[in-house]
Amino acid sequence: MSQTIKLEVVTPERPVFSAEVAEVQFPTAARGYYGILPGHTPLMTEVGDGLLYYVQDGQKHWLTVFGGFAEVGPDRVTILARESETVDMIDLERVEADRQHALKLLKEAQTEHDLASAQAALDASLIRLQAAGHPAGHGF
Amino acid sequence: MAGLQDIRRRIRSVKNTQQVTKAMKMISAVKLRKSQERLVALRPYAGKMMDVVQRVVGRIKGDSEIQPGPAAQAFLTPREEKRIRVVLVASDKGLCGGFNANVLKAATAFATETQAEIVHLDVVGKRAAEWARKRKLTATGEYLNIPLAGFQRVVTEISEGAAAQYHAGEIDALYVIYNYFNSPVAQTPTVFKVFPMELDRRTESREAAEVPHLLEPDPNAVLETLLPRFVETELLRNLLESSASEHGARMAAMDKASNNAGEMIAKLTLTMNKIRQASITNQIIEIVSGANA
Repeated sequence: MSQTIKLEVVTPERPVFSAEVAEVQFPTAARGYYGILPGHTPLMTEVGDGLLYYVQDGQKHWLTVFGGFAEVGPDRVTILARESETVDMIDLERVEADRQHALKLLKEAQTEHDLASAQAALDASLIRLQAAGHPAGHGF
Repeated sequence: MAGLQDIRRRIRSVKNTQQVTKAMKMISAVKLRKSQERLVALRPYAGKMMDVVQRVVGRIKGDSEIQPGPAAQAFLTPREEKRIRVVLVASDKGLCGGFNANVLKAATAFATETQAEIVHLDVVGKRAAEWARKRKLTATGEYLNIPLAGFQRVVTEISEGAAAQYHAGEIDALYVIYNYFNSPVAQTPTVFKVFPMELDRRTESREAAEVPHLLEPDPNAVLETLLPRFVETELLRNLLESSASEHGARMAAMDKASNNAGEMIAKLTLTMNKIRQASITNQIIEIVSGANA
């Protein structure tokens, strides 16, 4: 059995990541985080919003994922994400601006729907900040 | 022989036409780049989605322990195709070579071959709408002059509508007829069946030895969210393929037109010069023979 997993992360906008890794952990929509090691049984589940990490050369690396699907095989993990980015793709200034904007919306929200969408935007910005190792993200 | 003035006029007119075709070629090149970028970005995602769906669905079919719910079943179990929905994708504008003619020919062939009794037709693009009108087919959905940014909305509308129709038993299959984008100069008219899923035999035999997927939290929940996304992705890909093909075809057609115009100008210029030369020679002869006399 192979000792690595081929991790592939693709979004409708672009292929985000593809490489052989030793370990993957990703958030699911229904059951918290799944950690995958080589030789895992085939599995298919819905991906939630949050941080994915993979281990390559003994180092942990982070990616953000927002929704989509994950398919796991003995030697592969394929993530079909709605949105995803590597740490390099995150524009800190923009995310910080998004966060401020979301906070403002959260205060002004009138309806249940507004509140939910503002909260989702805030969560998304916090996930991105956390991925980039920004202090504001640690409260999440 | 035409007079010098007439030929000059014709050259001017051909030059004007050439300018127009050149400009159209340039515009098409820009539009092609935009469509192609989105298509190239989406293709890996769509390809992976297709792989995953094939693997997961292929095994569920073989695994009798899982009882697919209504939504999942809709995509898995083929019914006899009595009522189908067809999405025909052509362009709004002409001047793009065989782009529309080819895809409409494929549509005509499909229309004569199909066994279906009832066909719900959606048309994208004016040329497709005209084709339907000529054949006295009523289109249930008409999508005209859709910009690149509007594709998502069309896709969501069609895929949600089609899924609902399948559940209600109003349709048994969904087809898309479009131009597949091989390269900027080559398109292939394609008839694509979105659902029920046609499984690739290769995948089935190759993967048969593996155990079926665990679908968590439960199979139906996963399939019910996955399959509509799959249909949406495929439809979006088909629209983008068609859009890129259209601009590619138009670019090629306009390039050819510009070249032809260039050739024509060269030919006309040659004739013009010959006539001018002939008249000069005539005048000289007249003067010389006049002097001799």
